[in-house]
Amino acid sequence: MNRLQGKDFINIGIFTAIYFIVIFAAASIGFIPIFIPLISVIVPLVGGIPMMLFFSKIKKFGMLTICGFLLGIIMLIAGMGYWCIPTGLIFGLISDFMMKSCGYKKAKWEILIHGVFSMWVIGAFIPIVVTREEYYQSLIPGYGQEYADTLMAYMPDWILPVLLLAAFVSGLAGGVIGRKIFRKHFERAGIV
Amino acid sequence: MKRELLASRKEEFGILLDPRTKLAVLITIAVFILGGSFESVMQYYMILLAAIPLLLLLVSRKWKGSILYILIFGGSLCLEMFGLSRLSGAVNFIAVAVVGLLLRFAPGIVMGYFVVTTTTVSEFIASMEKLHLPRHITIPMSVMFRFFPTVAEEWNAIGDAMKMRGIRPGGGKAGAILEYRLVPMMICSVKIGEELSAAALTRGLGGPVKRTNICRIGFGFQDVCLLLICAGAYAAQIYVMLK
Repeated sequence: MNRLQGKDFINIGIFTAIYFIVIFAAASIGFIPIFIPLISVIVPLVGGIPMMLFFSKIKKFGMLTICGFLLGIIMLIAGMGYWCIPTGLIFGLISDFMMKSCGYKKAKWEILIHGVFSMWVIGAFIPIVVTREEYYQSLIPGYGQEYADTLMAYMPDWILPVLLLAAFVSGLAGGVIGRKIFRKHFERAGIV
Repeated sequence: MKRELLASRKEEFGILLDPRTKLAVLITIAVFILGGSFESVMQYYMILLAAIPLLLLLVSRKWKGSILYILIFGGSLCLEMFGLSRLSGAVNFIAVAVVGLLLRFAPGIVMGYFVVTTTTVSEFIASMEKLHLPRHITIPMSVMFRFFPTVAEEWNAIGDAMKMRGIRPGGGKAGAILEYRLVPMMICSVKIGEELSAAALTRGLGGPVKRTNICRIGFGFQDVCLLLICAGAYAAQIYVMLK
């Protein structure tokens, strides 16, 4: 009963696809360098809507871990570096444990869990800070001195924890929004 | 025929590649062209790597795609090499950003397009099983890639319906517009997903036994060539880093 079945796998695939399309549309403002830090606010905020529906379908352990891992893989293919794979796995696993401990049906916990899950976004910023010098050097030939300087000026070292916190807080806010929309539309329409 | 990603039916293509080779090439391009540095030797290796998707497009007779790719990539490459140093100030800043984005993203996107349009779901699953990845990863992953075009299609259809009713973005109601678009799309997607899982279960996806596959996959001469080029990229990167 508690093993993941074919139906669960398909659900993971579907919701990861929806989630990715939604956040990718939202995150495309990151092409303008000044807005790059804002991604960690916008992605969790908008992502709350599909995730809340996904959470209501989760009844088994492990689904969020797989979802996080898949997100990491798409991020690698989309050129955000490989750091999203470990962060997706870690925060997916933590969210899975939290889901398990709340018995898969407490709405207030789900908002908190969405906050935790949203912190995977930090993986996209780790290369900027951890390997700053290399990253800076690699930007110059490709994007030019000015772009690199602008980006570095907006990304001091202390920004990583700030962004992590921002992701968590806006994840909470996104969870609240998602929950509201979920109540307003999906429960009434009998989707769940 | 409708465009499909990871199609369920096989079309004839000029070159037969193992899905594992395609993935290796895709990852190599993602690592080196998207995330890599354009230093000394790598600068020239990049062009070789970027030529792979073009070659594949040509042999599979996708003329329109290849011409577009040559124009975009070749154009940005020429600009980067000869044009940019003559511009200055804000124009230079914008041109550098645009050219940099095109140069970095075009090869990966074209390769990704090639992979998902020429690989069937069965082939993909077969090759993933040969790599000994567990079902936990392979099934969600193939569903996900198969589902991207469906979601995009629903998204556009809802956009059309909204236009017909005269609901447009703007007027300070961005949140409401987002809600009007997202909610129907998610309801559609969930419905489609339920049908998809019912269809998959009738084909025995949930069964406890090991699934067999009729696709014959394996490495041929062309696979070895491409894999060698990919390995060369990693070798060149290590050589550059050690120097």
